[in-house]
Amino acid sequence: MFNGEFLLPRSPPRLLLFFRLSNPLRTQILIFIKSLSAQNKMSAKPGAATPTYSPKVVGRSRLPIFKDSDLDWSRPDGRGFPQCRPALLQTGAVSSASGSAYAEFGNTKVIVSVFGPRESKKAMTYSDVGRLNCNVSYTTFASPTLGQGTDHKEFSSMLHKALEGVIMMETFPKTTVDVFALVLESGGSDLSVVISCASLALADAGIMMYDLITAVSVSCIGKNLMIDPVTEEEGCEDGSFMMTCMPSRYEVTQLTVTGEWTTPNINEAMQLCLDACSKLGEIMRDCLKQAASASDE
Amino acid sequence: MVGLSIGEQHFVKGGIAQDLRTDGRKRLTYRPIYVETGVIPQANGSARVKIGGTDVIASVKAEIGRPSSLQPDKGKVAVFIDCSPTAEPTFGGRGGEELSSELALALQRCLLGGKSGAGAGINLSSLLIKEGKVCWDLYIDGLVISSDGNLLDALGAAIKAALTNTAIPKVNVSAEVADDEQPEIDISDEEYLQFDTSSVPVIVTLTKVGMHYIVDATAEEESQMSSAVSISVNRVGHICGLTKRGGCGLDPSVILDMISVAKHVTETLMSKLDSEISAAEACEDES
Repeated sequence: MFNGEFLLPRSPPRLLLFFRLSNPLRTQILIFIKSLSAQNKMSAKPGAATPTYSPKVVGRSRLPIFKDSDLDWSRPDGRGFPQCRPALLQTGAVSSASGSAYAEFGNTKVIVSVFGPRESKKAMTYSDVGRLNCNVSYTTFASPTLGQGTDHKEFSSMLHKALEGVIMMETFPKTTVDVFALVLESGGSDLSVVISCASLALADAGIMMYDLITAVSVSCIGKNLMIDPVTEEEGCEDGSFMMTCMPSRYEVTQLTVTGEWTTPNINEAMQLCLDACSKLGEIMRDCLKQAASASDE
Repeated sequence: MVGLSIGEQHFVKGGIAQDLRTDGRKRLTYRPIYVETGVIPQANGSARVKIGGTDVIASVKAEIGRPSSLQPDKGKVAVFIDCSPTAEPTFGGRGGEELSSELALALQRCLLGGKSGAGAGINLSSLLIKEGKVCWDLYIDGLVISSDGNLLDALGAAIKAALTNTAIPKVNVSAEVADDEQPEIDISDEEYLQFDTSSVPVIVTLTKVGMHYIVDATAEEESQMSSAVSISVNRVGHICGLTKRGGCGLDPSVILDMISVAKHVTETLMSKLDSEISAAEACEDES
């Protein structure tokens, strides 16, 4: 946890925030933060930069875009357009779950826990294949404006669709796998982070999958395409492109596009996403390998 | 729907591979589309669309409301879809809820465009009456009466036709009032404004069965699909929304190919739909 220069200044204020809350979640989160600081699972060398999955920009340079468009957008956190936020991924965040993962991509912090395969209480009928139950919820303090911490039905169904194509359901008939995602802080590209973190949690739980899935989103503002948008950019975007893919198999499992896109823009966005997804896939694999080797010791 | 036997499955897949589907169509041919507008007199606009065995009704109701504080210069649009149990017995009670919310989400994505409003089929600023105080709230409801595949395309066409048929009454805002009070509004009974639907996109769903894609799949063909991509293209040829359904992964080049096929199909579909809608409107005017 304390291995990137972004993270250290932020953690003390976060502990203070939790002390003020009278939320039953508070104790759970305090214990969790203590456990993260105690076992330094992400055993990167101190001083090494947190890995990021920024894609490689192929072909032409980015400069012509700035000249053409009248809207000169500069990213609030000073990143370049094809640059993603540094990614922090950890498994084993929740000890009571079969598998869990914690992901921090800039200001977006998500924790996912997986329970199962366990007995399906809802379904009485026998089924040859297992069932998947997904739930994405936001905490009340996730966004800057005070919102209700309700379940996000839209994101829950999209997470379900993203995961159902990649989990081998035949390996756990009659049982259910529950995936619960909690967005602790919403800093942009929430669903992409939730999906990537969920697939890491499933791998940690030992559920059989065809491949890890990674999700990346691209925002279009004017003529500029920016990857991994933050909340500000998402609020005024002209279009959004979210892609979930299996990096090793080079297949797209879910694709959601809103706003107006020309075909060359879609091509470019797709290339950016595929490149970023494969790099994120490698970072996720490294994280799993480290967790596995740490538990071996 | 009764499941297909192994022989029937092979027949469907083999036919698609040879560009001859079970009802004799080619892979990129639509079933005959029948449009009827003004079917619900109490609604501001309504339409009924039949594509083969799929029958849907869309209605548009406009009500006076307050703009949201985040976007005080825009009206609001809400899309709700209801899958009636008359279409499928499984749709009764909570059964059709998942499908309804999926369809509503896809339609909302196609109609409303990006957060800044770019690529929106409906111009939300045209729904504004007084900034920050009064605006029109459009409630677009879709009802699926009979389902034989390709629900999203049918609903998209029905909403487009219903919006063309929509007449919103003219509103006069009387007297300037203080900032914190609601202004008085006078809704006229006589004068109506027609909606501008030239930028409403059409939705084309390409279903991948085996190695080929088909347009306008029937329920049988949909049961054999590996995945489906619904692409919404507007008159200018820009993509206004894209949703991939189905669990199987697709190669990125396949998706790009599907986009170009969808654009090609949209040209014929849009002109066909426009002619059908104007014929239906003319029919309604006569009666």
